[in-house]
Amino acid sequence: MQKKENQEVENRPDNTAFTQQRLPAWQPILSAGIVIPLFVLVGLAFIGIGVALFVTSRNLHVLEVWKNNLLWLNMALYVFFSPQGPVFFYYGLTNYFQNQRAYGVSKDYNQLSGDLDYFTFFFSIVPDSTCKPYRYDVNNKPIVPCGSLANSMFNDTFNLYQMKNGVKEEVPLDGKGISWWTDYNIKYRNPSVNPLRNAFNGTVKPLYWSKPAYELDPTDTANNGFINQDFLVWMRRSALPNFRKLYRRITDGLPAGNYSLEISYNYPVIAFDGKKKVAFSNVSWMGGKNEFLGIAYLVIGSLCLVMSVVMLIIYAKFKFPEED
Amino acid sequence: MKLLGATAIEDKLQDGVPETIACLSLADIKIWVLTGDKLETAMNIGYSCNMLRDDMNEVFIISGNTQLEVQQQLRSAQEHILGLSRVSSAADVEKSDIELCPETVLEEAIIAEYALVVNGNSLAHALDPGLKLLLLDVACLCKTVICCRVTPLQKAQVVELVKTHRRAVTLAIGDGANDVSMIKMAHIGVGISGQEGMQAVLSSDYSFAQFRYLQRLLLVHGRWSYFRMCNFLRYFFYKNFAFTLVHLWYGFFCGFSAQTVYDQWFITLFNIVFTSLPVIAMGLFDQDVNDRNSMRYPSLYKPGQLNLLFNKRQFFLCTLQGLGTSFLLFFIPYGAFSVLLKKDGSNFSDQQAFAVTIATSLVLVASVQIGLDTHYWTAINHMFIWGSVAVYFAILFAIQSNGIFGVFTSYFPFVGTSRNTLSELNVWLVILLTAVLCVVPGLVVSFLKVQLFPTQTDKSRKGRGPQEQSLQRVRRTSSRRSAYAFSHQQGFGELITSGKNMRRSAICSAPPADEHYNHCNLFNHCTFHICFICGINHDMVNKQINF
Repeated sequence: MQKKENQEVENRPDNTAFTQQRLPAWQPILSAGIVIPLFVLVGLAFIGIGVALFVTSRNLHVLEVWKNNLLWLNMALYVFFSPQGPVFFYYGLTNYFQNQRAYGVSKDYNQLSGDLDYFTFFFSIVPDSTCKPYRYDVNNKPIVPCGSLANSMFNDTFNLYQMKNGVKEEVPLDGKGISWWTDYNIKYRNPSVNPLRNAFNGTVKPLYWSKPAYELDPTDTANNGFINQDFLVWMRRSALPNFRKLYRRITDGLPAGNYSLEISYNYPVIAFDGKKKVAFSNVSWMGGKNEFLGIAYLVIGSLCLVMSVVMLIIYAKFKFPEED
Repeated sequence: MKLLGATAIEDKLQDGVPETIACLSLADIKIWVLTGDKLETAMNIGYSCNMLRDDMNEVFIISGNTQLEVQQQLRSAQEHILGLSRVSSAADVEKSDIELCPETVLEEAIIAEYALVVNGNSLAHALDPGLKLLLLDVACLCKTVICCRVTPLQKAQVVELVKTHRRAVTLAIGDGANDVSMIKMAHIGVGISGQEGMQAVLSSDYSFAQFRYLQRLLLVHGRWSYFRMCNFLRYFFYKNFAFTLVHLWYGFFCGFSAQTVYDQWFITLFNIVFTSLPVIAMGLFDQDVNDRNSMRYPSLYKPGQLNLLFNKRQFFLCTLQGLGTSFLLFFIPYGAFSVLLKKDGSNFSDQQAFAVTIATSLVLVASVQIGLDTHYWTAINHMFIWGSVAVYFAILFAIQSNGIFGVFTSYFPFVGTSRNTLSELNVWLVILLTAVLCVVPGLVVSFLKVQLFPTQTDKSRKGRGPQEQSLQRVRRTSSRRSAYAFSHQQGFGELITSGKNMRRSAICSAPPADEHYNHCNLFNHCTFHICFICGINHDMVNKQINF
């Protein structure tokens, strides 16, 4: 008898809350009392955010100037607003697919982190094969930095002059810290050879470059090699075919007045139907002028409010008769 | 001759069998009995289980000995059923030729209740290739089918007949070794462990000790399993379409060069780490209606039978939802990133920031969506859902940290991206907008559906279950029939009184025992085999009758 009882207990399945699906649980039901107030709340919050964004964006200014395919060497600008704070100077390109896959992977990370092993042409293992056809030149000398992405670096230069009483006064353009801190300090490292040019012995510069990497900025020794700010800005490839990249910062702001922009037009865009532009903008807590976000928030917020009203009407109309 | 006494063998039904059968038939489950017992015993079992009732229109008994007889009996049964129903619904749709297989619509149009009882011999003829479809048609027209004197092979053949020629899921339940072939043939085999040994249990898919547990197996666990499986599948397809179709939209803007929107590591880990655990928890623990209500309202079982929760339409809808989500996931960041700048003015519309923004939005949308799909939030669900989001951010920052870049330089090119991206307020505004916009339409649609077209499940969740069907009707036992019956068509009295089966010396002169022969008030729902015994003294007779 005892044995039979024990056997019964043995065969009995576990009777815990977990095995018998009796775990305590919260069972929310999507009732009108929760959904409709939620929509009202979300709608109001979004409208609030949208208004804040829109108003802030209104106070930001962007001056965009399109450089047509004519070789404009001197452009006259009239700045009619006086933005506070630093003004940022961007160059932009259209129809330029930096996000094309083969183009984007065409670089050698190890080279760019300063690993000298990858500065040599070693049985076609280094530099990285994704760099084709910009791995080595006709004399089988490795290209440093290799790849299409580096090769196609933007090389127009700009000078901005303010016209004060007929006299051209140069506006100082600050090129420090225009790239990401992590790019400058972590991702791209120069080889630790002093002077830098010795590291590049036995290599050649990219085919489209006019200056080798170690001479990119003669005025500032810390701005050469792979950690050159313009180079870093260019290497951070953009997601979309129409983009802007930061060129310089005008720290003291731009007082209103006449300006003259001198451009050395080096970069060819006609071949692929591209266009160039320059833009001046100031920024705020939400970044640059961005009407899209403000308008999107306003639209979605109002839609939420409208939906909540519609749902309330439907609920009232169809529910009350039932409950009666 | 003097009657000395009677012995009886009681073959009691288990507890709760009639209630279980009544409940399952309310859930639109057709129950056929295949037994090795004789015709009378089987019919008595049918009456005691309320499968056969006195108020049934007709009980057809097929007991022919030749194929032709069986065919005639089946034909006449079919014509009787269809003829009457045709007369009753003459105003309705004209029924097509009776010779064609009647569709399920036709079967359900029959309001009257019929029962079919088939003998073992006749079954052997009826399962011939020429007759089996006719048998199946007639059987499906009847509310109850009882086959008696069935061999184990015939049990399997009957199950196979239903399996192959009807779009029905079959479940076979039995407790003895003679049920093994039937259990293995059916879609689902259930073995009852107990008096008859373990053979049925060893060859079954599910086993338990009492027949009445079948109700819980089907109405609670079976229903939950279907519900969970369908939810799981729909969510999985939605999530993967939302994840993958972003690349469709991006193709238009990257020259169709197959540039991925996301980081390679995100693609690898998305389905395995970031979104797998919540949906596993939903598949294990989710309950739409609790077990008490599932048993109370058997009609909640119908969505599973009609395949309402995951069919072509539902798949199309979840694909559409995934497509729409991927559209929003791409185009809202696209619109914002065209002009996005960081607080310090540096440009921001780069590939890696775009990737991190869309990836974060996707993980948040997927987590919110599974949160909305989960009806039963146990502690484990909470842990998995919030934990997955936390793990996403942890892994994101870990993969894009300086340390790992130092070790594996070319494998982790996204170094620093998440730090730069997720510290900007406008990126979080983009993520918030995307997440809300992806979730809101689904929320509106499901809310309106519950308010305007509530299903029975929705009503029972709110506590107002479907009309409690008349279980009372089924529990009423027929009054004319007594609790126990004789299992012979006619008694052996004549044979015995003729003396042909007796030897002279066996007759003893015991006093008549009829005054001691009491009608035992035994339990209801029993059948007796009663045999008349002579030559036994009183005491033993009394002991045997008074249990």
